[in-house]
Amino acid sequence: MKDTNKTIGTPISRIDGIAKVTGKAAYSMDHPVKNPAYAILFKSTVAAGTIRDIDSAAAEKAPGVLGVITHKNVSKLNVKGGLRGGALLQSPEIEFYGQNIGIVVAETFEQARYASRLINVTYDKKEPKVDFNKVADQARLPKDKEKADAIRGDVQTALSQATHKVEEVYETPIEHHHPLEPHAAIAEWNGDNVTLYSSAQIVNGAQSAAAATLNLKPEQVRIVSPYIGGGFGSKGGQWANLALAAVAAKHVNRPVKLALTRQQMVNSVGMRQHNRQKVSLAATSDGKLTALAHETTTHCAINDEFVEPCGDCSKIMYDTPNSLITYRVVPMNLILPTYTRGPGKSTGSFALESAIDELAYKLKMDPIEFRIKNEPERDPSNGKPWSSRTTVQCLREGAKAFGWEKRKLEPRQNERGNYWIGYGVSAGTYPAHQRPTSALVKLKRNGEDVTATVELAAADLGTGTYTILTQTAADALGLPIQNVTVNLGDSNLPPAAGAVGSVGAASYANAVNDACEKITQELMTKSGKQYYVRPTAAQLMRSEKLIDYQTRVDSKPPESAEEYSAHSFNANFAEVAVNKSTGMIRVNRFLAVTGAGQILNPKTARSQIIGGNVWGIGMALTEESVVDPRWGNFVTRSFADYHVPSNLDIGTMEAIFIKEKDEHVNTLGVKGIGEVGIVGVAAAVVNAISNATGKRVRDLPITPDKVL
Amino acid sequence: MRPFTYTRAKDATSAIKLLAENPNAKFLAGGTNLLDLMKEDVERPNALIDISELGLTDIKTVTSGANKGGLSIGGLGKNTYAANHPLVRQNYPLLTQAILAGASGQLRNMATNGGNLLQRTRCPYFYEVSMPCNKRQSGSGCGAKEGINRMHAIFGWSEQCVAVYPSDMAVALAALDAVIKVRSTSGQERSIPIAEFHRLPGDQPEKDTNLLHGELITSIELPQNRFADKSYYLKVRDRASYAFALVSVAAALETQGNKIVQARIAMGGVAHKPWRALKAEQMLVGKDATDANFKLAADAEMADAKPLEHNKFKIELGNRSIVLALQMAMKVGKA
Ligand SMILES: Cc1cc2nc3c(=O)[nH]c(=O)nc-3n(C[C@H](O)[C@H](O)[C@H](O)COP(=O)(O)OP(=O)(O)OC[C@H]3O[C@@H](n4cnc5c(N)ncnc54)[C@H](O)[C@@H]3O)c2cc1C
Repeated sequence: MKDTNKTIGTPISRIDGIAKVTGKAAYSMDHPVKNPAYAILFKSTVAAGTIRDIDSAAAEKAPGVLGVITHKNVSKLNVKGGLRGGALLQSPEIEFYGQNIGIVVAETFEQARYASRLINVTYDKKEPKVDFNKVADQARLPKDKEKADAIRGDVQTALSQATHKVEEVYETPIEHHHPLEPHAAIAEWNGDNVTLYSSAQIVNGAQSAAAATLNLKPEQVRIVSPYIGGGFGSKGGQWANLALAAVAAKHVNRPVKLALTRQQMVNSVGMRQHNRQKVSLAATSDGKLTALAHETTTHCAINDEFVEPCGDCSKIMYDTPNSLITYRVVPMNLILPTYTRGPGKSTGSFALESAIDELAYKLKMDPIEFRIKNEPERDPSNGKPWSSRTTVQCLREGAKAFGWEKRKLEPRQNERGNYWIGYGVSAGTYPAHQRPTSALVKLKRNGEDVTATVELAAADLGTGTYTILTQTAADALGLPIQNVTVNLGDSNLPPAAGAVGSVGAASYANAVNDACEKITQELMTKSGKQYYVRPTAAQLMRSEKLIDYQTRVDSKPPESAEEYSAHSFNANFAEVAVNKSTGMIRVNRFLAVTGAGQILNPKTARSQIIGGNVWGIGMALTEESVVDPRWGNFVTRSFADYHVPSNLDIGTMEAIFIKEKDEHVNTLGVKGIGEVGIVGVAAAVVNAISNATGKRVRDLPITPDKVL
Repeated sequence: MRPFTYTRAKDATSAIKLLAENPNAKFLAGGTNLLDLMKEDVERPNALIDISELGLTDIKTVTSGANKGGLSIGGLGKNTYAANHPLVRQNYPLLTQAILAGASGQLRNMATNGGNLLQRTRCPYFYEVSMPCNKRQSGSGCGAKEGINRMHAIFGWSEQCVAVYPSDMAVALAALDAVIKVRSTSGQERSIPIAEFHRLPGDQPEKDTNLLHGELITSIELPQNRFADKSYYLKVRDRASYAFALVSVAAALETQGNKIVQARIAMGGVAHKPWRALKAEQMLVGKDATDANFKLAADAEMADAKPLEHNKFKIELGNRSIVLALQMAMKVGKA
């Protein structure tokens, strides 16, 4: 049998695609367990106060009900165990509207939900802090050291001396992740051990947090998460529902299935917070930046802090002698915010890249030339050299592919019938990291046929992890892809990094590659022979007549990686049409050009990028979670009210990858693409709207009423 | 969901009887609105009478009565079927456009014409049972009036209720002077003009329509008209499809030369019922079909609007939408 051609870099289709479209892929609630009971959470209907009483007598008598659990009878859980957002029923205190206050377990989901409505809760209410506009001025310095004021030079003086400047405030609303698969868990106890079937972006993290919360050792908890129906950050850190499924199962001594309803998703599993970002830029008349200040004010939960790093792009995108990045945060009676796709960078780049565009207009400069003029040679935040930086290439290649030369410098110069047409551009970035990950490779030979199984507790969010790891292993072992099986998403497998912060592909693929290298090396040593041409592991299994062989590696990023500043970069181009009468906006064309090192699979990579782009378009035009400023409840609780873009909202999407080889970032030269796909997108759309209409909207989403 | 009994009715007479006997029973047609509301505990019927197999789905020319020569559309027919029927497309393209502007393909395949007329408001305070809502629970207050009311009414609202009625189809029906045919226990049919079918909220926001308990919508009749060449349904919304209207306008014109002989304008997303823009219509009859006259008509209609805190934009948007819908009616015509 001869060696196969390399598959890395080729656009093979997802190997789990057929299982998914035929319904064979088991998501959280699909795993077969014997005789499951069904649990539903019930939630507070005030945003602040104390529960006076919960009367569950009627619910307990309702048909099919097996148990009602509240703070009065729940077992003791460790609230500092690592699950996010509290709401573990450990006290009668209410900190946000829709906080979990109990669980009903019944024979069927419908019976559980019906019974939950028979429960009568009384509260001693307090005045809640739920209106960001009213409390923003109480914001304080975050506790998180990463969010300390970052000051270089003297921004104030530079601003006061500048002839060309922009000082504006940009608002982004609360958003929700709303993965298509709502958070759900099946809990099945076996003695003192519990298995949790629940989708997790960080399998080992879910395991340790669930274990600590339940006062168990990590090895007593098994997380099974082979497939994830989307997460976008909301399944990175885990939330109370995971532990409460286990609590419910223990309570009724049966496996329990606990799924959130769509309506419950808005106050159960985090959100992206409302950010108020002031960006100040100053430049010389020939377009050299002299100051950049990015000051973010936002909110967090009453007793826990999370602040999106909105200033991250501003730290590294442009060369300026004077720079200021600050954060202020005010606790509110809303659920804890959390990581949401492109955390900080997607929202922060909206503010920064809008301001850059505004200043380019004032300078009468092409915004691409303005950006390129301020390209930093090294990372301005730490002075390190770039492992590679592709911003200029992304902008130049994108401009050519998009037909940027057709853009009018002045707004309202391009009309087609009843529409204003406009072009917008932005640039973006996201850090590239590799995290420690272990992997096990097992080889088997049957005659000439060698097969491999690769195992690690990695997560496939639906992004193509199974596929790229199959490719990586096949190439490294010298096998055709159909001879490689990849098993993921189980905490019993070797520990792995999470599919978060765009570290997945780099961490997993390098670990699998290292494991395959190691097994090849071991087999060579074992053979005792000298080789002039390096044989593949598959060849060695045959020549050494081995039946079974396996090895495990604990892979780490190369030490040299620390010497460089490593990031993915992109440039986004949007063409919009704005209806002159109604203000309805359509993105006719969108192009993302991305420099992300080696692209393992251009097909799954393209899907990742355009997926991020679509969300970015949603951020620009449609998505907003609205809080009632009196009571703190979300009034947008379903997909009828929370508008993600529909097919008809999306025009032609194009993704281009820069051909580059980053020698420094990691062995395979792989950088992440999951996050960078959304960075800068909203700004490109907003800048295009401004180019079309002459109207600068600084408050997302840009619904028709805002451009009338 | 609260427990309920389920009966599949065999014919219209028994369906009506089953419903009339039980004040807490409801007809189940496509279920796309009723079941959602039951899951959220907003609607709490204790019995569902499934009417999906009663027939009453035909679309045919009316052969007698006041609307002779017009079109009869079965009350239990699906929205998709009505929108695409050749007689509708040819003679009432406004209705085709309006139906297709609503919901999604999947929903329209399930949704019936009668169910569409009776769909309930999308006001978020109506939908969440922990919120005050006079429509859902009489006397509990209106959450929206001082709350988040960007989507709410600018015409005809009351202190009790500022909700809007969400149907697109019904806006076209209002412009087309449709008549709703209903049958009651006595077996008698009664005709309700569309303008009298839905209500303004007044002191009884819990009542969306003047339909009586036990009455079944059997058909919708459209009188003959000469609007087919000059009509347009404009829907302005927060995304291109699958969103309810911020403002919508059904416009239909009959012209001789450039002179307007008849005008019909109805608006959606602005009131507790399809809002017939009678003032604008009156302004147009006998005038030339010019942008300036369209604007005068729009100004006249919108002058009466009373916005709430978050929906002031609907006045300007409504104004522009009337003008644009009239312009498009002159330009585009058939669906
Ligand atoms: C996400 C979403 C988006 C939507 N977007 C839009 C939109 O943009 N525009 C729009 O217009 N609509 C929209 N809809 C609403 C949709 O059009 C309605 O749900 C549908 O038309 C209702 O029809 P149905 O047959 O399913 O009614 P059902 O839900 O079965 O019934 C609705 C009500 O009508 C009563 N009823 C039904 N038939 C009869 C009859 N023949 N006689 C007497 N009473 C009857 C029932 O008892 C019930 O009270 C949307 C719906 C959803 C879920």
